[in-house]
Amino acid sequence: MSDVATCLLNSHWIVLLPFLAGALIILGCSLFKDKMPKTLCMGISIAAVFYGFLQSLLIFNELRQTPTPYMSDIDWFVSDSFKITVGILVDNLASLMLIVVTLVSLLVQIYTHGYMREDPGYRRFYSYLSLFTGSMLGLVISTNLIQMFIFWELVGVCSYLLIGFWWNKPSAAAACVKAFVVNRIGDFGFLIGILLLLSATYGFWHAHADHGLLMFYDPQVGGIDGVTLSGAIKWALDPAHGTLTQSFLTAISMIMFLGPMAKSAQAPLHVWLPDAMEGPTPISALIHAATMVAAGIYMVARAYPIWLDWTNIAEPSTASAGLAYVAWIGGITAFMAATIALTQFDIKRALAWSTVSQLGYMFVGLGCGGYSAGMFHLTTHAFFKAMLFLCSGAVIHALHGEQDMRQMGGLFGKVKYTATCFLIGTLAISGVPGFAGFFSKDEIIGTAFAWQGPGHEVLAWLMVFTAGMTAYYMFRMFFMTFTGTYRGSAHVHEEHKPDPLTVPLLVLAVPSIAAGAVGADLQQFIAHIGSSEGYASPFSNFVHFMHPHAEVINMSAMTASTVFSLVGIALAFALYYKKGFALDVAIEKKIPALYRFSLNKWYWDELYMAVTNFLLTAFKQVWECVDKHVIDNIVNLQRYIFLGFGHLLKYSENGRGQSYALTIFAGVALIGLFVYFFVSSP
Amino acid sequence: MPNNILSFLLLLPFAGTFLIGIMPQTAARGTAIFLSAMMCVISGFIAMHFNPASTDMQFVQQMTWFKTPIPVEYHVGVDGMSLCLILLTSFVTLMAVLASTSIGDRRPKLYYSMIMLLTLSIMGVFVSQDLLQFFVMYELELVPMYFLIAIWGGPNRDYAAMKFLLYTFFGGILMLGGLLYLYFQLGQTGIDNHTFNMVEMAKQSSSLMKSTQSLACLGFLLAFIIKLPSFPFHTWLPDAHVEAPTPVSMILAGLLLKMGSYGLVRICLGFFPDIIRDWGPYLILLGAFNVVWAAVACLVQTDMKRVIAFSSVSHMGFVLIGVASLSAAALSGAIFQMVSHGVISAALFFLVGCIYERCHTRDIHEIGGGLAKQMPFVFYFWMLAAMANLGLPGLAGFVAEATVFYGTFTSPMATAGISPDPTMVDFALKFACLGVILSAGYMLWLLKRLFYGPEQPKWAGHLSDMTQTEKLVATCLSAFIIALGVYPLMLTNTYTAYSDQMTKSIQARLSPTSNVIVR
Repeated sequence: MSDVATCLLNSHWIVLLPFLAGALIILGCSLFKDKMPKTLCMGISIAAVFYGFLQSLLIFNELRQTPTPYMSDIDWFVSDSFKITVGILVDNLASLMLIVVTLVSLLVQIYTHGYMREDPGYRRFYSYLSLFTGSMLGLVISTNLIQMFIFWELVGVCSYLLIGFWWNKPSAAAACVKAFVVNRIGDFGFLIGILLLLSATYGFWHAHADHGLLMFYDPQVGGIDGVTLSGAIKWALDPAHGTLTQSFLTAISMIMFLGPMAKSAQAPLHVWLPDAMEGPTPISALIHAATMVAAGIYMVARAYPIWLDWTNIAEPSTASAGLAYVAWIGGITAFMAATIALTQFDIKRALAWSTVSQLGYMFVGLGCGGYSAGMFHLTTHAFFKAMLFLCSGAVIHALHGEQDMRQMGGLFGKVKYTATCFLIGTLAISGVPGFAGFFSKDEIIGTAFAWQGPGHEVLAWLMVFTAGMTAYYMFRMFFMTFTGTYRGSAHVHEEHKPDPLTVPLLVLAVPSIAAGAVGADLQQFIAHIGSSEGYASPFSNFVHFMHPHAEVINMSAMTASTVFSLVGIALAFALYYKKGFALDVAIEKKIPALYRFSLNKWYWDELYMAVTNFLLTAFKQVWECVDKHVIDNIVNLQRYIFLGFGHLLKYSENGRGQSYALTIFAGVALIGLFVYFFVSSP
Repeated sequence: MPNNILSFLLLLPFAGTFLIGIMPQTAARGTAIFLSAMMCVISGFIAMHFNPASTDMQFVQQMTWFKTPIPVEYHVGVDGMSLCLILLTSFVTLMAVLASTSIGDRRPKLYYSMIMLLTLSIMGVFVSQDLLQFFVMYELELVPMYFLIAIWGGPNRDYAAMKFLLYTFFGGILMLGGLLYLYFQLGQTGIDNHTFNMVEMAKQSSSLMKSTQSLACLGFLLAFIIKLPSFPFHTWLPDAHVEAPTPVSMILAGLLLKMGSYGLVRICLGFFPDIIRDWGPYLILLGAFNVVWAAVACLVQTDMKRVIAFSSVSHMGFVLIGVASLSAAALSGAIFQMVSHGVISAALFFLVGCIYERCHTRDIHEIGGGLAKQMPFVFYFWMLAAMANLGLPGLAGFVAEATVFYGTFTSPMATAGISPDPTMVDFALKFACLGVILSAGYMLWLLKRLFYGPEQPKWAGHLSDMTQTEKLVATCLSAFIIALGVYPLMLTNTYTAYSDQMTKSIQARLSPTSNVIVR
């Protein structure tokens, strides 16, 4: 067997090892309690993900040379008419995600050692981290939509466990329940979407009952055709079978989009993500910035055929209503989250809102037909956002748990590694030319300008404007935290040399700077500036849908977004570094409604709580009326009837022999009379 | 392979009932554990020698008692579905007996002998192939259950026991009515082979007039959905659970409810598929309503045991949906749900008991939260069971729900042309999907209010974590929950031959000439 085959064949270990590591730690801890060495827990957990990272690199390398996806499957649930399988599918898209997930997970696990060293739940934390990594990798290499749903829920539960890691904090307890329940609303849509799709394509799967349901890839055919998701859609849309229409498919895609909407925190299901910051910072970086929240984008990319317009069956188009919906949800969320991030004071929550906003960008990319652009931004964002979160964690660690930026300031000299990395991340997310975020965000904005969907001009300019706000609030954070004078009272724990807390930051700084330039091929990029000819970047050559997309560099869009970013930066500089003029105070004073609207996160939480409370109170009354008053009283009535009879009849049993004899005599007499008069007459 | 092994399996709890009665008080628990472990071994042995490919009854034993005026027989046998439930019965009984430590010296002889009698009755229902015998076994359960609740129950036990008795008795009368009506109607069709043999009756009943069939079916159906339980006959369950001692709750939820669902499949679906087809959309609607109604009811409870009890009602709604949709996948899911709910609800009631024994209250407000601090093991097991109950993939609950949903969405009942009312089915199913959100809501809310948050000063230093026995029980139950969820084929392999053949034969009757895809 060739090396290539062996390498791909063993891909399942990437997923299984973290699961085994998690199980091993749990087992060890329940058997040996505190005698289980901490370093062993860390070692097991890190070794598993390190193996995964190495193999992901090998797989990436193999696929770059021979881009043939590898798939293998085992049966999981078999019935007469269908089969659900689980397995591994390693193709370009998956191998990219494998690298992102394993790298970020590896670095976060190293960081955790520094961050959680003192925590009594250190071992438990590593076991959860391993379980999460395994679930996330399982999601990435899913061969079908149902397997993806399974792991989709598993990452959700790991997120729940980790948000509620400090269970004695009431805010954490509330946040983890909220996260899970909101995600469940998304899963509800995801599930109904799957079921509707299955019932519409039933005949297809029935004819291929030896294949698993809803596969992404058919190794016998290659590409997206064959006994796959898109094959089934094609079959059902064919007028000869006619079990599906384009408009129904659009409806399915919109319902199914509830899933990504919740998982990737898009409005109106975004409310859980900022609260999820109650969890320890390492998991905010890993789960709620880099990997799990990107699962929604990954899912849409994987199941892209559902979102396409199949009017021309041979050549499906991205100009579909389903994708326009995706793009607009993403666009609105990106804008909304950015406006909220403008006024937040909690360093982690501000970053969380920025995550929500950036995820919105990715959906704009996918929705406008920029498949590669969306995935490109996912990749670069994973690196710089994970780094930003880890930086914020390092700051919080140095300040002994302080998260309010009003209690920070002037930390640049004291935590210089962290501050430098934070600056790099801020430059990257703001889209300053040369940094990673510039290339990926620009590609999305360019795609939005090129898009022909409903309201395309508005959406594109909204994105440009949001880019300006992004630069402003990120630099606001940077200046508030690291420059000026220290406003807090806690003792600052200074950094002197790199330790487990700072090494991961420094490693992540490299892709945060360079990933964009490498993915877009800087040389080619510069060569094509100003030309009307497009070129396919190395990234879109590797990850694309059907065929690579040749990107024309849209000079005006690029200039506009860069100008907006620079204006944002300048504004933040003037307000929070120079403190030249008090625009923010003026807004706070003059238009307090607008300020409070942003500070209170557009009042989504209040709205949801009011609706939930109203419904529950109303239901409680209905339930009490029906179950307790109507039904139970009918039953109780029966009981009283029986008891009443009992009370009546008990007088006949008085224990006196004479009255029993009398009763018997009367009975015999009655029967005798009855027989005499009615029966025996001939 | 001895063909009287099923009788031997029945003999164990039967003998146990009396044996424990004559033994010294100290030996009662040991004997009960030994007997239930033996039952596990024997049912495991049966499972090993069971041929899953065959759809016939296996290990059949039949003895005639007398023939006139009505034939009365002893007749036992198992197929795939029965076997799954027998395995479940032995396992849950063993767990319940192990979990009975809190009974202590409160009349243990009577207690364990009642448990054995209860097991006999449940086991008897699952292996009976004679309708009369089925009925007797079905009713026999009433006696031990009444006493188990009325003697070892909580403060309000008299009311709960009486309510349980009333409901079940009412159901029993309906079933007896249906049974006799069916028997005498079959007697009039001219087939002179008078019998209570269930296999024979299933074959013959389709020859009856539809109105006759529906009347007989109604009797059985009502009896079984009282036991299931389904709205509006569900209010006995929360009361019975709340008052029953922990191990009895485990048996009640884990096994007793399965008698209702088993009857639905074996008799309502097996004898009267045409009627179930006609009523299908309404039954699915009822099932969906159960799922949602009970799930929302969980959200407004203040007693933790009531929450779990209502969640049982909600989950048994899936069985009703699965049975009524007449598709192989959904039926398979319904049977899976019986087993998975059996294990999960037993685990949950056991864990509720663990808290109750320490805090002496079931009131969520009074407990107040923060229990995780002193009871980490209880917390972890609770977490697992709660996740299984809300249908987390990888655990037992998910497989059943997902297959029921898939099977019903693609079933004949949701297909125009075959189904009497496809739009209603479609609506009902989407409505039932709401259960996905609600179950997460109430389980996590309960978990949060019990375990999360700061430790309450009143509990500080008063609570202890699990004992070794409790850990053993929780570990066994959890192991099954995980195993069934990770590799469902190990269970489905046993019964798919049965469920596939069942639905195939029904669908063949539904569309004998048309070449509609058989789903």
